[in-house]
Amino acid sequence: MAEATITLAGFVLTLMVFSYLLGDLPYIGNLYRIAVYIFVGMAAAFTAIVSYEGLLLPYLQDIQDPTTSWTALGSGADIVIFSAAALIGALLLLKPIGALSWLTNSVFAVLIVVGAAVAAVGALSGTLIPLMSATGTLPAAFLSDFTATVDALLIVLGTCTGLYYFHYQARAGDDGAPAPSRLSSGLRYIGKAFLVTALGAIYASTLLSSLTILTERIGFLFSIGG
Amino acid sequence: MGFLQRLGSAFSAIIAFLVGVITLVSLLLGGNPGLFGDLPQAADLAALLALPAAVLLRLVALVIALGVLIGIANLLLTHAQRLMRGRALSAALLGSFALTLFWYVARAGDTSLLEAVQLPIESSLAALLCLTLVGGAARVIAKRADIWSLLFVLSLLIVLLASLPWAELEPLRAWRDWLLRVPVSAGTRALLLGIALATVVAGVRIALGQDRAYRG
Repeated sequence: MAEATITLAGFVLTLMVFSYLLGDLPYIGNLYRIAVYIFVGMAAAFTAIVSYEGLLLPYLQDIQDPTTSWTALGSGADIVIFSAAALIGALLLLKPIGALSWLTNSVFAVLIVVGAAVAAVGALSGTLIPLMSATGTLPAAFLSDFTATVDALLIVLGTCTGLYYFHYQARAGDDGAPAPSRLSSGLRYIGKAFLVTALGAIYASTLLSSLTILTERIGFLFSIGG
Repeated sequence: MGFLQRLGSAFSAIIAFLVGVITLVSLLLGGNPGLFGDLPQAADLAALLALPAAVLLRLVALVIALGVLIGIANLLLTHAQRLMRGRALSAALLGSFALTLFWYVARAGDTSLLEAVQLPIESSLAALLCLTLVGGAARVIAKRADIWSLLFVLSLLIVLLASLPWAELEPLRAWRDWLLRVPVSAGTRALLLGIALATVVAGVRIALGQDRAYRG
């Protein structure tokens, strides 16, 4: 019974979402909107459940247990951190009061600055250093294998010129308009070719993924309808 | 701008600068005794330096969880007001929210509603994306028939056609493999490095108080 209800709900909701393809017809146009509203309501509920059960509840349980500690400062500090977080959360509610904007801005400053610092250090250690070392590392068959050598050099050329493409500085020409040098224009031209090729392949991969999902959904509809 | 407002703005900037510098130093130098060479107390020093980031990250994680709950409460309040103004569609959002919470609490953590409702809607929306992407690719050729759009479509077609299970397309698959291994890999690396460089620059500027994104 439960299995049949789940299948029927999936069938009806899939048709509701696909009604988008019929355009903004009277009544039928609302089916897509209803499905999206249901989706948002349900996603909000699951997000609330995960935030409470996955983050707040374990922390609340932890601070009641003196044997566990989040930091090297001991369990007493956990209570201080939790209280500070609750206070900061309450201060966020004061945002609409203009006279207290300095206070809410300070709270936002802490959140944004910590997030920015984590993003900067994460990008440095997680993307920048590993990718640069991977690009600069030559393959084992470098020079002994002509194809591997050309490929490795092309990757280095593509990566460097692709990065250079986002360089917009140019000297002013006689008429005052920006006049980039021929070398700069050439490097940007090569970089753009690599970037466009990469974007085309990424687009194709996304298209293939969504095509797979589309065929699965159509197969599902036919399996119920037929 | 009044004196008090300027004072408040300076207060926010000082807080941002101090927290930013402490977090950056703690994340970069903390928890890695190897950075301090042969110092006798290298391990203690590294642990001490890692402490501020650990405390701040815990604090921010808790505030973000509370912020998510406040955001959801705001969403519900907005839709309740819309419903009272006669926008009946908001009833679907409020009803699905209430039903999901009730189902989860009454059935002790049962997530079958997720499987029955959320997954079909999510996968149907992802399936619709396919048609939008095909339309977008067709518009690229129709509206901008230059060398770059041709290169874009050529790369797209090689990857798409090579995924077809036909033996006649075997040479195209070799081309596809080379395309993905060399030019696409290089282009993707350039994009990722560009994003990472921009993230580092923007992050450090915010952390040092040069960009005051927190001013509402």
